[in-house]
Amino acid sequence: MLKIEDLHVEVDGKPILKGINLEINAGEVHAIMGPNGSGKSTLAYVLAGREGYEVTRGSIIYKGLDLLEMAPEIRAAEGIFLGFQYPVAIPGVSNIYFLKAALNAIRKHRGQDPLDAIDFMKLSKEKAAIVELPDELTKRAVNDGFSGGEKKRNEIYQMALLEPALAVLDETDSGLDIDALQVVAKGVNALRGPERAMLVITHYQRLLDYIVPDVVHVLIDGRIVRTGDKNLAKQLEKDGYSEVRNAISP
Amino acid sequence: MTDTTRQTLLRDLPKAFEAGPQWLRSLRGRAADALRGAGLPTHKTEAWRFTPVRPIVEADLLRRGTDTPKLRSSLPEGVIVRSMKAVLESEPELLEGKLDLAGPPEHFAALNTVLFDDGLWVDVPAGMVVQTPIEVEHTIGAEGVGYPRVLVTAGRGAEVTLIETYTGAGVGHLTNSVVEVDLAANATVRHVRIHENARLQVGRVDVRQAADSEYRSTVITLGGELLRFDVRCLLQGPGAQCQLDGVYLVDGDDHVDHHTRVEHQAPHCRSDQTYRGIASGKGTAVFDGIVVVHRDAQKTEAHQENRNLLLSDTATIHTKPHLEIDADDVICSHGATVGALDDDQLFYLRTRGVPKDFAHSMLTFAFLEAIVDRISDEPTRARMREALLTRIPHGDQIGDVT
Repeated sequence: MLKIEDLHVEVDGKPILKGINLEINAGEVHAIMGPNGSGKSTLAYVLAGREGYEVTRGSIIYKGLDLLEMAPEIRAAEGIFLGFQYPVAIPGVSNIYFLKAALNAIRKHRGQDPLDAIDFMKLSKEKAAIVELPDELTKRAVNDGFSGGEKKRNEIYQMALLEPALAVLDETDSGLDIDALQVVAKGVNALRGPERAMLVITHYQRLLDYIVPDVVHVLIDGRIVRTGDKNLAKQLEKDGYSEVRNAISP
Repeated sequence: MTDTTRQTLLRDLPKAFEAGPQWLRSLRGRAADALRGAGLPTHKTEAWRFTPVRPIVEADLLRRGTDTPKLRSSLPEGVIVRSMKAVLESEPELLEGKLDLAGPPEHFAALNTVLFDDGLWVDVPAGMVVQTPIEVEHTIGAEGVGYPRVLVTAGRGAEVTLIETYTGAGVGHLTNSVVEVDLAANATVRHVRIHENARLQVGRVDVRQAADSEYRSTVITLGGELLRFDVRCLLQGPGAQCQLDGVYLVDGDDHVDHHTRVEHQAPHCRSDQTYRGIASGKGTAVFDGIVVVHRDAQKTEAHQENRNLLLSDTATIHTKPHLEIDADDVICSHGATVGALDDDQLFYLRTRGVPKDFAHSMLTFAFLEAIVDRISDEPTRARMREALLTRIPHGDQIGDVT
């Protein structure tokens, strides 16, 4: 589904990603772990198409298409979803209505008829229930006055509604207490399926107790330095990143 | 103004006024003298520094066009709406002391005082609370210069909402309007005013407020070749409050100017000003607001905020909120911002699948709608929202998003 080859990315002229190779197949959940500043969020933003991230070398092929040629909304229409580490508040734009506009833009791209208000509301209620997001919050302005936990649940609610093929979740666990983490993880797990791939980005192993990955990658200084199964995450938790760093240093 | 047109105008201004009661003749005479003394503004006049006033002063100002404001709503029982002309003919004493209520007028307002022929007087007697808004329509005709005039008098404890619409194709037309609002103690006046399709417009609203009265205004300006709007509130009685809100949009070669002046003349008054604007194309928007706190106006609270979105490299915003404070026990704030749309918000919407131009429209509209949302009368709010949407790209599709 996704094939990243030799990806080099600069931000403001500063190299951040220095040759990423990564392949994710449908049905797989990959985790990317790494210390702060290793380039985890940069990878997430590049996949979603944020401006200001310059790809200087390499390629990203998604479903056989050149992802780097697509605008962010086209990527969304093609099934890419980014769950933000820090979801922005948008006063004055209501959650549910902007999502209806978003979903219908995506449906249009796929040649499907738009959902009417009634069908959309039904769908929204169903998806909000997955992450126990109160109805009232789905109707408020996007993330405006939401607590940290509510923002993250809102992200997963949106993901459930948009049903992406590839979900990139950037530090979905940050700022969550254990109860909120379990709710969010339950929401994510409910969306796992043979047609869907996930890239879960996290600093800590904790999240991976709840969202168990098929493959774990360790990202340090813009490169993937280790790849393994879920036990790699546990080992990291025990030894810390410095152990890996020392091991790879010549 | 070229010297020739200036001289022609001043030469042709009436020197003596035959018609009407003595007080009106002196009022007009005083205004004509002011014009002969100071003339019409030029680009060197400080308060008109950013207004390219030439097309207005070069208009044939003495050639009269249609200008009688029309009452568009049914009249609530007890409210009296009368033609000024008729009152001035039959019972002129009723209007004595009620015109030019903020003092001797200047510039275009003075010209209106000299030349206005008719107008509407909306009188809400003491204690009367009117739920249904009273709507006054100013249709801008095709020729000549209009001098519309409206007077609203709200008696003690009265409550009323006035809607004013300025519409029309108005090719070649100029309107020079004066609206005066006089609030007795404890009166409440809500005033919603929308400028649509303006070509050349100069407008002034003067408000005089007695103790504990409340004036709330929302001005919506949807473009305009050249529009200059001034609102002035005189807070004369203790405990009076005013809220001045405004929304403006410029595009193409539009130029719109909004000027506010709030005078805290009595203690314990409160004023709030919130203006928001968007400039695209080669449009220019100006906000110039001043709060004056007089020496005896202790315990004043005055806030002033102007926020702008600059959506193109060729558009211009001038913003100048300022304060003049002569009292020492006051709470005052003022601020202005000029910025672009928030990249984080745009990106967020796009990652969900919202096309870029759509996301632009959603954020632009939300920015302005926040002001329109403060209109308390629901049907009026909905109507102003719709009017605003007509000027936002994809407005027909994003209406239910925000």
